[in-house]
Amino acid sequence: MLVTGIKSKPVYAPLQPDIRGHYHLMVGSGVGAGPLLRTLAEMRTVAPHAVKATRVLYVPDAEAANGAAPFTVAQVAEVRSFHGAAALLEAFRVLLGESLMGTRLYVAGPESFIGLVMKIALEFNLNKDEIRAEECGTSARRVYCIHCRATSENVRTNIVACAGCARWLLVRDHYSRRLAAYMGVMVDAEAPGEVPPLKEVFL
Amino acid sequence: MSDAQTIAVQVVGIEQVTPLIKHFKLAPVGGGSLPVFSGGSHIIVVMQGTERLHKNPYSLLGSPQQLDTYEIGVRRMEESRGGSHFMHDAVKVGSRLEIAHPVNLFGLDKIARKHVLIAGGIGITPFLAQLEDLHGGGVPYELHYSVRSTEHAAFLQRLRQREGDRIHMYYDSEGQTIRFESLLASQPLGTHVYVCGPAGMITHVIATAQFCGWPDSHIHWEQFSAPPVGDAFEVFLARSKISVHVPPDQSLLESIEAAGVEVPYLCRGGVCGFCHTRVLELDGTLVHNDHFLSDADKAKGKSIMPCVSRAQCKRLVLDL
Repeated sequence: MLVTGIKSKPVYAPLQPDIRGHYHLMVGSGVGAGPLLRTLAEMRTVAPHAVKATRVLYVPDAEAANGAAPFTVAQVAEVRSFHGAAALLEAFRVLLGESLMGTRLYVAGPESFIGLVMKIALEFNLNKDEIRAEECGTSARRVYCIHCRATSENVRTNIVACAGCARWLLVRDHYSRRLAAYMGVMVDAEAPGEVPPLKEVFL
Repeated sequence: MSDAQTIAVQVVGIEQVTPLIKHFKLAPVGGGSLPVFSGGSHIIVVMQGTERLHKNPYSLLGSPQQLDTYEIGVRRMEESRGGSHFMHDAVKVGSRLEIAHPVNLFGLDKIARKHVLIAGGIGITPFLAQLEDLHGGGVPYELHYSVRSTEHAAFLQRLRQREGDRIHMYYDSEGQTIRFESLLASQPLGTHVYVCGPAGMITHVIATAQFCGWPDSHIHWEQFSAPPVGDAFEVFLARSKISVHVPPDQSLLESIEAAGVEVPYLCRGGVCGFCHTRVLELDGTLVHNDHFLSDADKAKGKSIMPCVSRAQCKRLVLDL
């Protein structure tokens, strides 16, 4: 079976403060603000000083009225709000380059956003015991075409026309942390023209 | 591992490098190449002493690129059970020894962004080979090396020549100590720390790194324990159906081997977990001396590492 039972699909767990860390870095997108604020509240109870050692990078949803305001209210060391994930990821990369051992990373948002953050964290050799991530929001996927190597964003369907080469790709559960994308393979390679019905599966 | 897989070597060079440390070069009997290894690996040296067989782990300190000889450094231990004294007193150039294939339990993290190496005394040996792997590799690294005094600074010449100011020396005699907290609190994200030296130093580095917020996956250490002496006891091997006497100065593993029963092992120093053995019955207490089992597992008393651990009991039954 091409789609299920593949162990590379990332599994994330609810965020919890790790107060063994000396510096805390929170990175969120859209509804990811919820888990991050919940974690800050828990942190305030167990170790108030950790809140003051926390920096937040956040991309509010376009339609959100109050943007990053809830984080400012939480009195963390620094809050930075971005228009779009690309700008956030760029700032995130710079910040990791300046960070010291003893940093803990908390990520919350849609799975595709988490994947892009993890890809950069991996480049900086952050391990599982330094990162916590909680998935929330859409489960739309980034899909990497194994034929033309283009990436299709925001894929909600079982098959997708590749953004690069227009081949119909079957979206597999096979995930690459390095590419932060699921693998897409040509669906009718064996029997040309036999394309299964299009279904919305990643909501 | 069984002795059938050992390699016969001949001692081709001995140098007294400090008052306590001898440097040995071992070449395969009959020439040729020794097995490939990576920095941080150790071998087990099998020595036929006058009273019994010694099998001690020693880190390989030579270049992993040079396989015509292996190099080891042996410190004369004050409370030796015989192995280090045998190497110092009985082994001469031309002596033959058996060694086991190299095993690495102290490898470098391949995707680290920086390496901080901390050595105390004879603990320098695994780092000498690791530095060969690190040299010219583009990933930043530094070595902090603490010794009693200048005359005890083994292999310093070799280190200085190639590594220059990447080597930071600390002499006890001058009152110099490594300031672990300032060292570990200021490292860039993605750094790994490695420590090899006296037990107190290892414990201190681990505790300080944790205090500075380091996660365990970035902290690496190696310490081979010599099997401590203890009370004599009897062990019954359930599957072999034999009873074995363990004298005070012989380890449980050595006693079982002497009785002709093979136990899989790699490090013989309480580190690797390979000789993990199930305890079936016990009427006393286990004396755990290993660094492998968790405190919870030690407390349960259902398993033992026979290479370094013992028992205080009348009857111990093992699943062997």
